[in-house]
Amino acid sequence: MTNNLQKKERTAVSSNPILAVENLSKSYGDLRILKDVSVAIEAGDFLVLVGPSGCGKSTLLGCIGGLTEVTSGNIQIDGQDVTHTDPAKRDIAMVFQSYALFPNMSVGDNIGFGLEVRKVPKAERDKKISQVAELLKIEPLLDRAPAQLSGGQRQRVAMGRALVRDPKLFLFDEPLSNLDAKLRVTMRTEIKRLHQRLNASIIYVTHDQIEAMTLATKIVVMKDGVIQQVGTPREIYDTPANIFVADFMGSPAMNILVADVTMDGLMARIEIAREDGQEPLILYDPNPGEGIASRPAGALKIGLRPEALTDLGSRSVNAEQQFDCLLDVVEPAGSDTFAVIRLGGTEVTARMHGDVDVNSGDTVPICFDLSKISYFDPKSGERL
Amino acid sequence: MSAISRSREKWVLLFPAILVLSLITVLPFLQTVWTSFTDAEITAREQQVNWIGLENYIWALTDPDFLEALGRTMYFTVVSVGLEGVLGIAVALLLNQKFRGRWFLRVIIILPWAVPTIVNAVAWRLIYHPDYGALNSLLLQLGFIDSYTSWLGDPDRALNMVILADVWKNFPLVAYIALAAMQTIPGDLLKAAAIEGAGAWKRFHSITLPWIIGPMLVVLILRTIEAFRVFDIIYVMTRGGPSDGTKTASFYVYQEYFSYLRSGSGASYAVVVAGISAVLILAYYAGIRRDQRGA
Ligand SMILES: Nc1ncnc2c1ncn2[C@@H]1O[C@H](COP(=O)(O)OP(=O)(O)OP(=O)(O)O)[C@@H](O)[C@H]1O
Ligand SMILES: [Mg+2]
Repeated sequence: MTNNLQKKERTAVSSNPILAVENLSKSYGDLRILKDVSVAIEAGDFLVLVGPSGCGKSTLLGCIGGLTEVTSGNIQIDGQDVTHTDPAKRDIAMVFQSYALFPNMSVGDNIGFGLEVRKVPKAERDKKISQVAELLKIEPLLDRAPAQLSGGQRQRVAMGRALVRDPKLFLFDEPLSNLDAKLRVTMRTEIKRLHQRLNASIIYVTHDQIEAMTLATKIVVMKDGVIQQVGTPREIYDTPANIFVADFMGSPAMNILVADVTMDGLMARIEIAREDGQEPLILYDPNPGEGIASRPAGALKIGLRPEALTDLGSRSVNAEQQFDCLLDVVEPAGSDTFAVIRLGGTEVTARMHGDVDVNSGDTVPICFDLSKISYFDPKSGERL
Repeated sequence: MSAISRSREKWVLLFPAILVLSLITVLPFLQTVWTSFTDAEITAREQQVNWIGLENYIWALTDPDFLEALGRTMYFTVVSVGLEGVLGIAVALLLNQKFRGRWFLRVIIILPWAVPTIVNAVAWRLIYHPDYGALNSLLLQLGFIDSYTSWLGDPDRALNMVILADVWKNFPLVAYIALAAMQTIPGDLLKAAAIEGAGAWKRFHSITLPWIIGPMLVVLILRTIEAFRVFDIIYVMTRGGPSDGTKTASFYVYQEYFSYLRSGSGASYAVVVAGISAVLILAYYAGIRRDQRGA
């Protein structure tokens, strides 16, 4: 079958990026929105762009799509410089947060718009439209007007309009953020399935941590127009490049606390102050890495994910580093129970098993798993 | 409150307005209709008025001069409203672009419309003046003409020159309404169309135009009704001349009444003009209804 929706054979050498953004900057007057952004994706990559509101995610997408004039830098799509190319000639498709369906056209005409512009004959157009409609399960809607659709259906139509042309690159700007929680999960799974099936190259903007972690092959974290880190979801989660990334990715956020770190043989000795004249907590990290070993002793910021602080339960944790802690607040969340503990001058979150029987005010043993501890420079916040 | 007493209350509240409207429009209109079936004349002396049935209408509808005036009015209406539509939308597209000084342009473009028709007409009569008009001197300097021309003196050309003056006065209204409608187009729609590969013309044609078509229909039909009744600009610029070259239906009615003092037949002409206006107004409502269904 020569169906364009079948998985594409990407025989090209993968070292050739489908999209390369180099030193891209964008300013509105004196206001610098994007600062020297460089990022590349390979064919078949699913790149998720995350960052706080207003950090420039949509602006970056607009630059890649050709909707926003760049101030400096360049953009290549499939080896061709498109920095100043008309959006129409970039061979990309975009799904907008607002869906941007053309209100005066039927669903079918919306999906087929790009093909019609390209003067694809009607018969072929109809065939492609019905293939996409089948894929997205919207065949019964083809004759309707966008105004007669539900939010989820509109979202599908917007996806259909993007998929039908089989472009080199897809841009998604928070496509699921207008859907209710349940539909969002369903569509997330479907987008993932579509990506696997079509092997499409996608850039996807989201605010949703879980969307980012589940969909991405690669995550880019941005702040104030500067890329903070690029990496696989695992890398971003386990080895955040700085405190901002550590704090931004993951829910609940990574615990960042101040600790005195000294070398004790090959191990790092980590001393964390406690409240009310209690003995400080002394932890040992057997593999601190070169960066820590070569540093003079002193106060650092350390990062521990909530799951690194847990009860004994059934989880196979190293029970060696176990301390009694007072649980300030206990928040059962079904599969997990989160407990707030006061440590190192701040509140930290421990992630306990859902079935533990603890209450606020209890003092219970907490195990500390330092295998994935992060160290940060206390001033710059950079990872050590 | 029951539905019945509420509907009665509605009529009570509407009554003063209905009364005033009846006195100032319905009664005079009925009077005109009645007059149109008589041989009444405007004369100082008391005179006998005779009911003559459809005679005035037969006369009006077979009067080649009146039919010609109607044709001229049609021409005036179609051409001036058409030009206002095209020019208005084009200017709105321009004003909708981002460029330095667009606020200034947006403000001054309304000026022609803000000027009273009479003033506009006088201004254009001066511009067209055969001896010291600005148009002559401009075209001569640019080399388009060899010698000064009497723009309003040529019966074949005068109507077009009046149309130009009318378009100049009225296109800003169309432009403003088009601009207001364009500004409600969500930016994402045009961006999506651009990404889908649509060029500027295709974007205009398949996104912008359908989006503004409702308001455009309304303003253009209103303009059509107005243009069909055109009187003042012609009265000031040409008085229907030269050799009836700009004599429109309303002007014809005016002359029948006030120059020839034949109120009976004048009234029948007026009723014919009003009838055509009524058809246009119905078209206007049909347009609005269509617009509301589309929304
Ligand atoms: N046309 C413009 N003129 C001036 N400033 C702009 C313009 N468009 C965007 N900005 C600014 O650029 C910054 C980045 O905007 P952008 O829409 O890219 O943010 P974002 O990361 O997509 O945010 P969100 O997550 O809320 O969608 C914002 O501070 C915004 O105010
Ligand atoms: Mg955005």
